Amino acid sequence: MAAEQVLPAPKPLNQAPWFAPVRNIVILLVLWEVAGRFHLVADGALPSLTAIVERFWADRADYPAHVWSTLVSSALGFAIGNIVAVAAGILFVLSPLAARLFRGFNVTIFAVPTIAIAPILALTMTGISPRVTLAAMGCYFVTMTATVVGLTQIDLRSADLVRAYGGGKWDVMRFVQLRSALPIILAGLQVAAPNAVLGAILAEFGGGGRWGLGIYLLGSLGRADPPRLWSIGLVATAIAGIAYFIFGLISARVTGASKAVTMTTSLPPAGARTGGQWPSLAVAFGSIAVPLVLWWAFIKLLGVPEMIGKTPWGVIEYLFFLPLSQQAQTRLLDAMGQTLPITIVGTFAGLAAAFALSVSSRLVPNFTRALMPVALFSQTMPLIATIPLFVLLLGRGWLVTLIITISVTFFPAFITLAQGMKMTPRAALDLPKAYGAGAWTELKLVGIPAALPYLFAAARLTVPRALLGVMIAEWLATGKGLGNLLNQSRGYLDYGMIWTVAAASVVLSVALYQIVVLVERRVLANMGMRGSE
Amino acid sequence: MAGAGGIRLSNVSKAFVARGKTIEALRDVSLTCEPGSFTALLGPSGCGKSTILRLALGLEHADGGRVEIGGQTSEKATASGLTGVAFQDSALLPWRNVEDNISLPLDILKRDRREYSAKIAELIQLVGLKGFEKSLPGELSGGMRQRVAIARSLVTEPGVLFLDEPFGALDQILRRQMNIELQRIWTETRCTALLVTHGIDEAVFLADRVAVMRSRPGRVASMIEIPFSRPRSPDLFSDPVFHKLCDGIAEVLHGG
Repeated sequence: MAAEQVLPAPKPLNQAPWFAPVRNIVILLVLWEVAGRFHLVADGALPSLTAIVERFWADRADYPAHVWSTLVSSALGFAIGNIVAVAAGILFVLSPLAARLFRGFNVTIFAVPTIAIAPILALTMTGISPRVTLAAMGCYFVTMTATVVGLTQIDLRSADLVRAYGGGKWDVMRFVQLRSALPIILAGLQVAAPNAVLGAILAEFGGGGRWGLGIYLLGSLGRADPPRLWSIGLVATAIAGIAYFIFGLISARVTGASKAVTMTTSLPPAGARTGGQWPSLAVAFGSIAVPLVLWWAFIKLLGVPEMIGKTPWGVIEYLFFLPLSQQAQTRLLDAMGQTLPITIVGTFAGLAAAFALSVSSRLVPNFTRALMPVALFSQTMPLIATIPLFVLLLGRGWLVTLIITISVTFFPAFITLAQGMKMTPRAALDLPKAYGAGAWTELKLVGIPAALPYLFAAARLTVPRALLGVMIAEWLATGKGLGNLLNQSRGYLDYGMIWTVAAASVVLSVALYQIVVLVERRVLANMGMRGSE
Repeated sequence: MAGAGGIRLSNVSKAFVARGKTIEALRDVSLTCEPGSFTALLGPSGCGKSTILRLALGLEHADGGRVEIGGQTSEKATASGLTGVAFQDSALLPWRNVEDNISLPLDILKRDRREYSAKIAELIQLVGLKGFEKSLPGELSGGMRQRVAIARSLVTEPGVLFLDEPFGALDQILRRQMNIELQRIWTETRCTALLVTHGIDEAVFLADRVAVMRSRPGRVASMIEIPFSRPRSPDLFSDPVFHKLCDGIAEVLHGG
């Protein structure tokens, strides 16, 4: 062991690279079993592994129909969402004006707390279409972003070559961009796959129906049967994990065929350009108008009765110009007052923990390395399936909300930060050391500043997730805040309030996201760095 | 061959704006390359020699002056397949094998690849890559990749060939070998060639004329005729006259 501390890099030769992770997982499983057996956690809320497997076996006849139903809607949504996303990504790269006009739409889709629109889709659509829609929405942003990044981060010299033979935009797209974006798009699909499953399950929560893992989970929530909840949660995780794994394999194959040759890592020059003849104010206005117009068109095209389907104007009317508006406002503001603080505190705590851990990863590399697989695994777990487990463990107070928020922010933030910081050039990190600086000086001079862009990227990623986590917890467990108001309004058939809460939570989420973006621009500009948006 | 065309730049100016500052990349540059001649553009980094080449290829647009390739605008000349180009980096597409990379210009110009199959085989032979037709760039060495790029620049049988530091990323030994091969290839095709380089010996060995450039603003400082007869043998590299010429050019470069 002492030798390992002196020479950190080389591992013992006889030890396969998979040894440490497998060992950790085995230890974890054994601990789990012991804790469950002896009711060590929250008075039996954490059942033993064997109890979960037994329960799963006893219920085995229930699963096929539920799993199949969830699979069908996630797969359909996955296909539709990704086709739209890739097409949109190509459009945004070819037409910067379109990219700017649809920015508001994209941010909205990204930030929308899916739980908030699940009831709306259930009201306005029939059959499995709400599930398909939510699954598709879960995929759209990830794949669209991956497509845009893949198509822009190309080898500029290859693009020059095509243009040097008189090739135009389309030729560059055809010969260089599409193929070189493929690995990145596939990586996007990999992340999108669990999102599709999560979206479908969320819609099942909000929409009712007979089959689906979400329905099954919701139905089992009231019965004090932890092993069943856990086994449903694990099955959902397994589905998401398998989807993630399959696309990982495809992506590895494609990448294998196209890498191992010099490719520039430089970003294309980002100038102040694009859509010159359109004043930026008009574009900004258009960008806000697009989501509203689409909302309005959605209601009109589906022909939803005015009573049930509210247009943007309908929501404003409900909130300001009706006899009961005053009361509606109070309820909404009260709920926001409960949801917002815990979202912010949880996000900060999760981000701070992730930041501290990843920045100090050079000090304790072994711990980081051990945590990474757990963090990645947590990303394939559908949030909705894990929240009931948190409720089992922590009860129904504010603590559960806070812990859920921290956990939904911590892991993705940690992954973003850890992966980003790997891109810091080794030489830059080594330079302070070469002048005899200690670990702390090195962190202060290089580690922390280099991590800042990724901290902001992580914040942008996690703020909407935190709100979603809080709202799901409120809906299912704590009976407070926006999530609860949404659930109640569903019960009272208070359509105006359902739409209002949905709209308010989207606006809230987009606003939080925009605040992060503004702070990011300000801070990074001062430091002479560029964000990754 | 499409027939060698000349290159004519008349009073060309070009400025770039970077971080609010304007940088004059080229001021009032005139350069004429006769059909079938080999001209080298020599100069320090940032003197605008690559900009000249990018203007000639239509990748940038001049702020003032005229650029003509074979009597046409750059856009027309490149789109008609008159020109060929090899960059400093091979810029091969990693997912295309050697043959397919060489054929890329044909695909862009929408020419039928089958009509060129003999030409492609001949070029692969010419650059010494026989047996590697189906290899992916990742499986080739740096020198081999660069030879693929040279073959690719010749596949359209260009009348005008642009070479932007094509051997800049190679080591000195490989670079000399490639210089010798390039001279042999060029002698066979006899197209108009414009080579951008910052290697003095490379420029002198290959070119009929060397245009020495200066920076801030980028301009052609002097034009030097290279008197050696062709074909030039590798022994030339150790010829005292060759060295004297190189030293003279170095003096022009560094002041004088």
